[in-house]
Amino acid sequence: MKLSTKGRYGLRALIDLAVFSEEGHQSLSNIAERECISEIYLEQVFSTLRKAGIVKSIKGAQGGYLLNEPAKDLTMGRILRALEGNLSIVDEKVKTEIEKNDIIYCIYANIWSKIDDKLNALVDAVTLEDMVAEYKKMNNLLPEMYYI
Amino acid sequence: MKISTKGRYALEAVLDLAYHSSDELESLKNIADRLDKSKNYLEQLFVILRQNGIVESIRGAQGGYKLAKPAKKITAGEVIRAVEGELVPVACLVSSKDAMSCSRYKSCVSRLLWKGMSDEIDKVVDSVTIEDLVLKYRDMKKETIEYFI
Repeated sequence: MKLSTKGRYGLRALIDLAVFSEEGHQSLSNIAERECISEIYLEQVFSTLRKAGIVKSIKGAQGGYLLNEPAKDLTMGRILRALEGNLSIVDEKVKTEIEKNDIIYCIYANIWSKIDDKLNALVDAVTLEDMVAEYKKMNNLLPEMYYI
Repeated sequence: MKISTKGRYALEAVLDLAYHSSDELESLKNIADRLDKSKNYLEQLFVILRQNGIVESIRGAQGGYKLAKPAKKITAGEVIRAVEGELVPVACLVSSKDAMSCSRYKSCVSRLLWKGMSDEIDKVVDSVTIEDLVLKYRDMKKETIEYFI
């Protein structure tokens, strides 16, 4: 049971964009360099994120990307669903099986759908702004702390 | 991020076995027929479940499978992990080799979220036993019968 590379790298790149675009839009090559992810790969990921309305592109030679909405309005749920598809722990195929078999339904109702509910509640409660705050804490990017 | 068919089928088969083997042994063929799954595939899963002390087999003409310990002593998590490994969305949460080879291990924010997700999954699967599932299943059956009467 693993997240896809798209989910992992996409979220990492998006957190990077959220942190550094506070200073202005960021080119994919800057993000790629800081995060050690191939720029070509990031192009695919950002095309997905742009279609989902999560980032917007600034065209031109000095172009790049910005968040399309404030970081506090972008939940992890929305971002991960854009990158990974639905966040259900079981394949869609199970939906047809539960109609035909009570054992399969019983496990679905008592295990898989409960996990789905918990995971969705968790990712919908965390915003990109929360992740940016953690990023700054972990990477000692909170200069004001030294003055307290 | 999905549970593989291994984890899903193993848990379904163990519940079916627990429900049908309270008095006598149960054959894999019956379990496979009821769940509409391949017997060969279930056989491979049952080898792993046997090695993990979840089911035991009795050989012979009247042979078959039963749980290796009481249903209330087996959690759903134990069954799923036996065939699926740890239930984590990223390898660095369990493998120190993966974690150490990652230069951003100490400053990785995403990892906090992945850890939170993994904890939620663990809480669900470790709080439900096979006995709980058998009781739920029995209640479900009763309701269906009452509905028809």
